[in-house]
Amino acid sequence: MTLARKGRWTTLVGLVLLGGVYVRAVVFTPVERLQGPAQKIFYLHVPAAVWTELAMVLVGVASVVFLFLKDPRLDRFAEASAEVGTVFATIVLTTGPIWGKTVWGTWWAWDARLTSTLFLFFLYIGYLLLRGAVVDPGARARYAAVLGICGMALVPFIHLSVYLFRTLHPQPIILKPSAPSLPQSMLVTWLLSFAVFTVLYVGFVIQRYALGRAREEGDRG
Amino acid sequence: MADAPHNAGYMVAAYVTTALILVAYAFSLYRRTAKR
Repeated sequence: MTLARKGRWTTLVGLVLLGGVYVRAVVFTPVERLQGPAQKIFYLHVPAAVWTELAMVLVGVASVVFLFLKDPRLDRFAEASAEVGTVFATIVLTTGPIWGKTVWGTWWAWDARLTSTLFLFFLYIGYLLLRGAVVDPGARARYAAVLGICGMALVPFIHLSVYLFRTLHPQPIILKPSAPSLPQSMLVTWLLSFAVFTVLYVGFVIQRYALGRAREEGDRG
Repeated sequence: MADAPHNAGYMVAAYVTTALILVAYAFSLYRRTAKR
């Protein structure tokens, strides 16, 4: 089985499992009393946000190691992770305002968390545009690696921004030093959703990696 | 939950949007890898 085919099957499994998460979240997970059904956006918004940040951390780690080893596989992985991170960031930046409109009464606020997440999205776009703009493969990989490392440096700031500034966005209720402040049934649904987003990330990255490799082989003729 | 806000429409919008983005990207990858 080719790498692209493995990625396709992983993605397909992830999408089917996502359907299961939808059913569990909508039908079998209790409605939160204060926020109502809209609180269930949490089960998609937060796993997507965690993978948006993790994808950029992985881009950064691969970039650091690439600058030492010059292994093209690391550059290819960074490219794949950045594209998938952009997709997850798009989910975060669409589900977040939908949730915010009903809970905060506004689609958007220029607070530290929202603004820095938007900045991360633009950084992803910039990373992909940079890769498309530089023709020489060696220079492209080096420039992209530097930008990827800058993106990784932004991630801790995004996560800690809700502690460092007064923000409309709430503080973490799962990824925090103490135990998650969430009922068991809601926590299980979130964990299942996070697992499914992980499967989707892996499936997407495998396919995108295979695509990058095929393009390089095509370029070499 | 009689006293919970009636905002299921927002939940549906977010769930549909997420599914559309993921399926569209999966399809885009499928098209691009199938060409190679």
